[in-house]
Formats: sequence, structure tokens, C-alpha cells
Amino acid sequence: MNALSALRSLAYPALRADPLKAATEAAGPKSIPFTELEKLSPGLLAQPADAARPAGASFENTIKNFVEETNGKQAVANDSVKNLVSGQNVSLHQTMIAMEEASISFQLMVEVRNKLLESYQELMRMQV
Amino acid sequence: MINILTGIDSTSAALNAERIRMDVVSQNIANVNTSRGPDGKPYQRQQVVFESVLKDQVELGATPGSAAHLVRASRVESALRPPRLVHQPGHPDADADGMVAMPNINIHEEMIDLMAASRAYEANLSVVKTARGMAQQTLSIGKR
Repeated sequence: MNALSALRSLAYPALRADPLKAATEAAGPKSIPFTELEKLSPGLLAQPADAARPAGASFENTIKNFVEETNGKQAVANDSVKNLVSGQNVSLHQTMIAMEEASISFQLMVEVRNKLLESYQELMRMQV
Repeated sequence: MINILTGIDSTSAALNAERIRMDVVSQNIANVNTSRGPDGKPYQRQQVVFESVLKDQVELGATPGSAAHLVRASRVESALRPPRLVHQPGHPDADADGMVAMPNINIHEEMIDLMAASRAYEANLSVVKTARGMAQQTLSIGKR
């Protein structure tokens, strides 16, 4: 019996007789295998560490897609301004809404960048 | 696609529809004294009919099941009221009794319609403004 399990048996007197057996009995019937849980709520639970991570889902790609989407919104706004001033069939309010969307998604991107930078600097300041 | 300004699609469609309504009203006001149209008859008052459509019926790329109700001006119809008869014997379009058939337009009614269209447009603009304000306030979460 190592020190830790001795501590635990001190804390839970009921387990003292046979700590290992009592623990498995307590946990056994209640615990559900991981595969069952995964079936109930796919994607909600964390994958086991050894599961192969899909290539498209890395954080880097997420950020990259996000930046590209923001850029796309800017391009849409740019196009609609161009179409409006050159007399195409685009209404004023559509242009204004497109510009507003572009502006807000740019602000969102800047906020995300600020947060990332802040956490990086927080890490760099950490005393080792 | 991130949806920054949610619900802006129906507002945008409504702005479009109100714009069309205003165009029709301005056409009515402009033609209030037109006694002869292309068909030889006096101009008839036009009125716009709005209808609501589901978003995925309009846009092919829209997510199916996104049941956003958009509004659109479905058709512009002529009013069926009889023309106004004005006594004006020297007029080229006057009949044997000297009566000229003028368009069935009541200018006061048109002014009221103009105000209503403008107010409805304004209401939709303030929806846009509020949505923008909400998004910007949300972006300031966690700022010191």
C-alpha cells in the first residue's frame, strides 16, 4: 500500500477493508463505455489522445479560414460599391449592409488577434 | 459563412420592397394630370402588392430549412376606380360634353402613401442600426 492509497483509505473509512474492490464496485455499474457515450452525442466528448486528428480541423486552419472569410466579406463590399457607382443593378442599402458586415467582421478579426497576442505575451512573461 | 448581422436578410428585402413602393407612388404623383397614356386612355393609378416568401425559395445557395420570411413586391396593379371627370372644353382629349377624363389619382392619398413608405423604410433602417449596435457591443465583451 503506497502513501496515496493510505491517505484515501483514511479519508473514506468505508473503503478501508478492500479499497480496490470497493472502488471498482462503486464505479463499475455506473460507468458507461466511451463508445456508448460517443454514440449518444457524437463529437461532444473529447476524442481519445491517440485518435488521428483530421487534417482540416487544426487551429491554424481554423484561423486561416476565418481570415479568408473576413477578406471575402471585404471583397463582397468592394464589389458592391464598385457596382453601385458604375450604375449596375445594386441598391444603396445592399451596399451599405455589405460594408457594415465587412467592417464588423474585420473588427471581430482584430479582437481575435488581440486576444491571441495577449495570451502569447502572458505566456512570455511567465517566470520559470 | 459567419453570420455577423443575423436577420438582416429580411430587413434588406423589406428595404427593397419599400423602395419599389416609393417608386410606384412617385410615378402616380408624376402622372396625376396625364389624360392620355400610350393606349390613348388616361393614366391609371398603380398600387404595389407585397407578398412574403421563404428565403430558400429566393436564393439557391440558402441553407434549406432556414425559414426566414422575406418580403417582396410581387406585382404592381392598376386601381379599378373610374377616372376623374373635369370640365375643360378646349382640351384636346375632351369629349362631346367638354369633359376630360383625368387619372383616378387622389394626390392626398398619394402623399399619405409616400409618408407611409418612408416611415416603413425608416423602421427597417433602424433595425439595421440596432443590429449593428448589438454586434459592436458584443465585440466589446471583456474589454477593460
